[in-house]
Amino acid sequence: MVTYNRLSVFRAEQGMSRKELAEAVGVNPQTIGYLERGDYAPSVELALKLAAVFATPVEALFSLEPFPPLARAIAKQGES
Amino acid sequence: MFIRSASRPFGRHLPRGVARGLVIALYTLYPIGCALQLVPDDNTASAALSITGLALVVAAIAAFVLLAGSSLQRQAQEEEAKLDERELAERNRAAYGAHAVFSGIVLLGVIYLMLSQDLVSSGKLSLWTPTAFEHWNALFWGFTMLALTLPAAFLAFQKSDPDLEPNE
Repeated sequence: MVTYNRLSVFRAEQGMSRKELAEAVGVNPQTIGYLERGDYAPSVELALKLAAVFATPVEALFSLEPFPPLARAIAKQGES
Repeated sequence: MFIRSASRPFGRHLPRGVARGLVIALYTLYPIGCALQLVPDDNTASAALSITGLALVVAAIAAFVLLAGSSLQRQAQEEEAKLDERELAERNRAAYGAHAVFSGIVLLGVIYLMLSQDLVSSGKLSLWTPTAFEHWNALFWGFTMLALTLPAAFLAFQKSDPDLEPNE
């Protein structure tokens, strides 16, 4: 099963490097790379730790369905 | 066995292609080298083969040393508390595969020895069996290197290259 995530978007927004994020959640920086690439699905514990770093619900970070493109999400928010 | 250096406590990162090449070199050059080296030195041609065999064994050992200091070997051999969940999950998968392959090789070896003894004693066929100390020595070091590197070899073939940031 593929797990989609917005990790790179959140990380870029916070101006964090992979190393900083890895240190914050206690994993190897390469693991962040594999997560962002979708090559590895995190455990519930790691997903919750990542969500806590960005102070966001875990569903905003990970999904079993592909996330809509950011531009479309912003446009939709503008309409409503 | 992981050779940890002070400058690279997490092991040397080898691109997957290089790591796979080293694994293939180790697993092919060593047996070929041993086979050539153990040819009896009764003439010039066999002496040349013996020297070539020795060179191949040395090349295989060089590949082993490079693998032993790699981040793949660290992942395969590091104590559990020092690995994260992804590294542990990959290692468990690799150890499972390595165990199956190693068991299969040992089983095939025992079957070969059993059959060769049976065929030799009945005089039907003559199969090579290790008899001299050199033969057992070559087998011992071959199996030792195989046992020590097989999990890392599985990691080299199951993983894709990580996306590294410039400072990683």
